[in-house]
Amino acid sequence: MNEQYPALLVVVPLLSALVVSIAGWVNKRLCFPVAVAALGMAAWSAVGLLLRVLDEGVIVYKLGGWSPPMGIAYYIDYLNGLVLPVVSIVALLNLIANKKGIEQQFPDKIGPFYTLYLLMVTGLLGIVVTGDAFNLYVLLEIAALTGYGLLAMGEERAPLATLNYLYMGTIGACFYLLGVGYLYIVTGSLNMVDIARLLPPLYQSNTVLAAFIICMVGVWLKMAFFPLHAWLPNAYTYANSAASSLIAPLVTKVMVYVMIRLMLTIFTTEFVFTTLALSDAVVWLAVIAIVMGAVLALAERNLKKMLTYIVVAEVGYMVGGAWLGNRDGMTGAILHIVNDALMTLCVFMVVGNIVYKVKGYAFEDLKGLFRKMPFTMGALVVGAMSIIGVPPTCGFFSKWYLIVGAISSGHYCFMAALIFSSLVSVVLFFRVFEICFYEPFSNHHGHDNHPGGMDEAPVSMVVPLLVVAVILILVGLYTGDIVNHVIQFAIPEAMV
Amino acid sequence: MKIIGLIIVVVTGALLIYAAADFPAWSDPASPASTYLSPHFIEKTMEETSVPNIVTAVLADYRGFDTMFETTVIFSAGVVCFFLLRISRREEEEPETRYYRHVLTGVTIQLKEGYKIPPSDDFERIDAAWTPPDLIIKTGCRILIPFVQLFALYVIAHGHHSPGGGFQGGVILGASIILLAISHDLRTAVRRMSEKLMAILCAVGVFIYAGTGALCLLLKLNFLDYSALAEVLHVDPITARSHGILIVEIGVGIAVMATMIWIYNNVSSAGRYRQGL
Repeated sequence: MNEQYPALLVVVPLLSALVVSIAGWVNKRLCFPVAVAALGMAAWSAVGLLLRVLDEGVIVYKLGGWSPPMGIAYYIDYLNGLVLPVVSIVALLNLIANKKGIEQQFPDKIGPFYTLYLLMVTGLLGIVVTGDAFNLYVLLEIAALTGYGLLAMGEERAPLATLNYLYMGTIGACFYLLGVGYLYIVTGSLNMVDIARLLPPLYQSNTVLAAFIICMVGVWLKMAFFPLHAWLPNAYTYANSAASSLIAPLVTKVMVYVMIRLMLTIFTTEFVFTTLALSDAVVWLAVIAIVMGAVLALAERNLKKMLTYIVVAEVGYMVGGAWLGNRDGMTGAILHIVNDALMTLCVFMVVGNIVYKVKGYAFEDLKGLFRKMPFTMGALVVGAMSIIGVPPTCGFFSKWYLIVGAISSGHYCFMAALIFSSLVSVVLFFRVFEICFYEPFSNHHGHDNHPGGMDEAPVSMVVPLLVVAVILILVGLYTGDIVNHVIQFAIPEAMV
Repeated sequence: MKIIGLIIVVVTGALLIYAAADFPAWSDPASPASTYLSPHFIEKTMEETSVPNIVTAVLADYRGFDTMFETTVIFSAGVVCFFLLRISRREEEEPETRYYRHVLTGVTIQLKEGYKIPPSDDFERIDAAWTPPDLIIKTGCRILIPFVQLFALYVIAHGHHSPGGGFQGGVILGASIILLAISHDLRTAVRRMSEKLMAILCAVGVFIYAGTGALCLLLKLNFLDYSALAEVLHVDPITARSHGILIVEIGVGIAVMATMIWIYNNVSSAGRYRQGL
């Protein structure tokens, strides 16, 4: 059992998606328990894998029993060992929290919704766990296709916004595939470790350079790195809350993981930082991404859209950190994948609860929420503190590593952008809190407006949210352990 | 905006041409793609998998895991089409006037709301946009469809030895039912292959593939290692690989066929399952 975790991680959600799809036609009540059991099993395998990696180092799993260059292999090292539990736990908590919302929104289509949800998680887990560059593309397709389906169900404008995402996402995926094709032409291999072994003599080749650039641009498109971000805010805002709070935390973060995997494993730091002289330019782009994300968020008058621009700014943090070219920056970027996934989940789940109760997320709808929904708003405070970067929430620590990395490589502008964006976040969230503290004005007829009592979202929505809020603080408190025992080994020795 | 687009396209094109400068020569037998893994596949496929068709062996065995997910991609496309397009019965308003057609005479009758016709096989429900199918087309397709399906089964079953396999065979099989829907009407096709059946067959097809993989796992070998099936099939492990490929090809065929029909039904009728195309 133990040695089959890599396969179970992906296969259990896949098989259960098929079971749920059939159950949707036979007995709808079976869908939710099957989905929760499958994601629970996936989370169990992911945690088991991380513990095994801590114990015995890199795990190789040969699918179909074929050795790597011939067949497909899964590699679990410290990098994806850390990301896998995050992906599976985020998906599980979000699923439990959204049971009521899903039943409220799609009473007739519960089966297909859970099917797509599980397939999406299968795709994301598969992207993270695989050691084969082409297999990654296939799972990217699954994650993208199901993502379009999930996002397009929502408000009136959701289908158009998602169509826009579909165009951009397809171009991104095609670019990645083209890059992998180029690598195959010059090396003859699709296995990541094998490509990395065959590449060094070819570092001067135009084809390898073009493959790297095309792959990067493709991945940047998928993660909405400024200026390729235009599809993200609308697609995430207008979608239903169950889908947006799955996709907003995970998809961009998984794509950042893919970028770091390309940089560290396939092309190696020697090629990325020594042979190419691109890192300054990319860090500058990241600076613009952070500043623009923060400024555009400031211009929004609606909570969900404001949060989507914060996601754009956070992508800038991670890309910038990874491209600083030193150990601290990379540590910050990897740590921020974990932290940002959790804090984005936290704030989007809060929006989900508000939408469930208030049926809106514009700033005017938020009045009086601290009295009405104290637990939900408490979680929003924790999430906001983490995004701003207040210790002991986890957001502080990754930002700290990023700033240290920026100083030690002399990119003071990146440091300034990080601090600027934190200050803007303070303004953003305290503006929201201020609105939420005040009661709505008395209604038109001049009746006394009694401040309403508590009207919290159902327990099944609040408990997972509070669990996420607690995890935010716990991850913050245990940052030292995560960095010293996991991330430190995820970054190659060659990087100082 | 158009000029910016043009600049981006020109830059991307220039990058691709720049990259092509270092490509190995066209059909160069010494290129890495031809020398690195291909010799192994060409020389060893028969002895390792007992499949004479190298393409099938690479597709469904050496890289069978990718193919499983390609099938899943098709399945997802079907589910997404259903999820987004299908108008649920609750939302769908029942039309005020309904139309029935007497099968033998072709007489069409119109029923106002509240009226019913006695249950019998003589009448079939038709849609408002229904037009009588052309007799020549209808008869021609009826002759053609069984042969199309027979050919599809051949393509699926013979994928080991000759070009073909589950994807191609499944598409041909699906096309035969779509041909029925086009030459007759959508209701006729849905009566033969109901919506529920299609939806379940899609999942069953992929399940056959992934389930075969999981069975190998239960038999104490890695996922999709077909040689584990030797125990169940009572053959030697190498032959078991060939049989395993056939099993998953059948799964792919079912999934692809059902998805093609399901997507056609949802897209052509905009999720209403009424004649609209």
